[in-house]
Amino acid sequence: MPDGYFGSYLTLAIYSLAMIGLVGGTLGLNRLVSPKVPGKEKMTTYESGVDPIGSGQSQTTIRYYMFALLFVIFDVEAVFLFPWAVVFEEIGVFAFVEMMIFVAILALGLLYAWRKKVLDWI
Amino acid sequence: MQGLIFLVVAATSGFAAVRLVTNKNLVHAALYLVVTLMGMAIIFLLLTAEFVAWVQVLIYVGAVIVLLLFGLMLTRAQIGKTALDRQQRWVAGPVALVLFGVTAPVLWRFFDGRTISLDRQSGNTEALGTEIFTKFVLPFEVVSVLLLAALVGAVFLAKKD
Amino acid sequence: MDVNFEALLPELLLTLVACGVMTIDLFLPKEKRGLAFPLAFIGVLATLAAVLNLYGQNLTTLDGMFVVDRFAVIFKIIFCVAALLVFAVSQAYLNDDKDVPHGEYYTMMLFSLLGMLTIASSRDLIAIFVALEMISLPAFILAGIRKYDIRSNEAALKFFLFGVLSTALMLFGMSLFYGLTGATNLADISAGLAGRTDIDEVALLAILFLIVGFGFKVSAFPFQWWVPDTYEGAPIPVAAFLSVASKTAGFVGLFQVMFLGLGELADMWRPMFAVIGIVTMTFGNLVAIQQKQIVRLLAYSSIAQAGYMLVPLGVASATDGALNTQIIFSVVAYLLVYAFMETGAFAAATAFGRKTGKYLIEDYAGLFGRSPALAVAMAAFLFSLAGIPPFAGWWAKFVIFKTLIEGDGLVLAVIMALNTVIAMFFYLAVVKKMFVDKSEDTAAIAMPRSLAGAIGIAAIVITVGGFLPNLFGQLAENANFF
Repeated sequence: MPDGYFGSYLTLAIYSLAMIGLVGGTLGLNRLVSPKVPGKEKMTTYESGVDPIGSGQSQTTIRYYMFALLFVIFDVEAVFLFPWAVVFEEIGVFAFVEMMIFVAILALGLLYAWRKKVLDWI
Repeated sequence: MQGLIFLVVAATSGFAAVRLVTNKNLVHAALYLVVTLMGMAIIFLLLTAEFVAWVQVLIYVGAVIVLLLFGLMLTRAQIGKTALDRQQRWVAGPVALVLFGVTAPVLWRFFDGRTISLDRQSGNTEALGTEIFTKFVLPFEVVSVLLLAALVGAVFLAKKD
Repeated sequence: MDVNFEALLPELLLTLVACGVMTIDLFLPKEKRGLAFPLAFIGVLATLAAVLNLYGQNLTTLDGMFVVDRFAVIFKIIFCVAALLVFAVSQAYLNDDKDVPHGEYYTMMLFSLLGMLTIASSRDLIAIFVALEMISLPAFILAGIRKYDIRSNEAALKFFLFGVLSTALMLFGMSLFYGLTGATNLADISAGLAGRTDIDEVALLAILFLIVGFGFKVSAFPFQWWVPDTYEGAPIPVAAFLSVASKTAGFVGLFQVMFLGLGELADMWRPMFAVIGIVTMTFGNLVAIQQKQIVRLLAYSSIAQAGYMLVPLGVASATDGALNTQIIFSVVAYLLVYAFMETGAFAAATAFGRKTGKYLIEDYAGLFGRSPALAVAMAAFLFSLAGIPPFAGWWAKFVIFKTLIEGDGLVLAVIMALNTVIAMFFYLAVVKKMFVDKSEDTAAIAMPRSLAGAIGIAAIVITVGGFLPNLFGQLAENANFF
């Protein structure tokens, strides 16, 4: 195992390439080797054994978008928690208070989303 | 070795970026954006900016692309091969090329040959963390209020009532 | 890490106020939603008191990133006063328009104001950038706050797309200055650039990118295309807010970066501002002549006013501190007067529009017969914008002329004078419509006290300021770095 910063990422890179190669290779091999007999029934959408009815697109609700939106904001918050955790011990109380203020302000945001009924799944 | 990896990654990113803006299919464009952003993340890794690289993957590729795809879904954007409004590309293309043609040589001429030393034992997470929480406290707290404003504004605009 | 809480008090207070307004509005029943206005108003008054408390002090905190000096305090006062006037105008508008939610509206304005207070004190590129974003983002939301109105959506979209593109380019320019000097603090950048001769090309490129970002904020040519559509589509008080407060914030950031950070490179950016200023004012004035709608007219006129304020930067000097002080004095003086006259003009347009629902200049015919007070106030604002004595706008233009001539910018002064004459054409056209033309409709324009108060205060200030310009002069003199 190579060590150091670049060493560990080199290991990661080799594993990633192996993974892509494995998956890509098997799928590609499948495509090359398997017999292809397309039929009209084979190309229809799968719907648990019955014939599909209606179009392919469903009524997309705004709910999914709201959750993705909240996810972006709170993901950024979580991302700031990582370096904070790394340097927390060195800096001490000052960093703790700062981060608590940060989290508190974003908790207000969560309160806003809650009261506006964005968090309701139904 | 790093130079070789950089060239490969940069070429892939650049190609993906070009395909991103010339594509007719919006979902394909979003996927090319993923390739471009992952390429940027790998370049950050090469510069030992480990934290920035993973932030890029987590936020950009993880959250922003998902949001983008949901937006495409919701607005029923044309995911077929129908043509979008592309009359602007005859102006946009030359403008982009001029911008690149001016910026790249200037930066190359100045920064060519200058080096900085990178810490090859660990990434820069600790150094970055120290800077954020001591020197750049004010922007950090303002960013928290900015995120709150973004949240309130976006939820207000998007919700149905 | 030293944190001087006294210096940060206005910002901390305003954060509490903004979060408080937002939270309280979440729990209010629908009938009581109007409570957001008094809360926000009192909150900004308290912040203004905290700012006035800091007047005359010189504090540096957070390792030089946050500075409270006279420059910062004067601008914080301008921002708070402009916000109070806009709130008063907004209240009348919001009470009529059921689509706009009171809580979110005031919360966004308070957040934007927080960004403005922060940028006045920021002396670091990253702090300036984050503060600019803090100003712009709530403004994007405010422009589109009438969710179901397609013009509002268009306004917000155009504003947003222009805004983020310009900000991205500006950030690239800022990163280049970091690359050149290894520092983001303006004083350190200035020290890092001193005496270097190899950086000309990169510095020029970086300055161009910075001008893109700041040019968008102050609506300079060729970054002003978003202004008319955004001002027309957004609610009028929001247009007033953008025109006065947001523009002033752009100038603040511009001054900090150009004078404190890039002072040595003044020979490089001076001609750029001279050209941009001239083209901006000419463009604004020429296109304003053709406008038929009052808000678009005010939008193009505000573009031209931004041009007047950019031209003094065209005579800046890398070495002459006294000239730079004079430049800052003249622009601050103009911004002080501009805040009142522009808010007043928008407020008068709001007052007229809410009762009659009409925004075309044609509809202003015979206003003097209907509501003499409103017509006189509007005429005062338009005269002041045009630079006609005895209103404060005349003195503000005079100060800029004086600065241009002292800085050997005779050509600039002449072109600005020509532009002033061209501008009189459309300002006086509106005044003529109001006083000379007759109209069939003779109903008076009633307005709530808050709106009347805002218009009245703005009109009185610019009239008194015209007779006693020293009041403004003394305030403006305090605002300098050198």
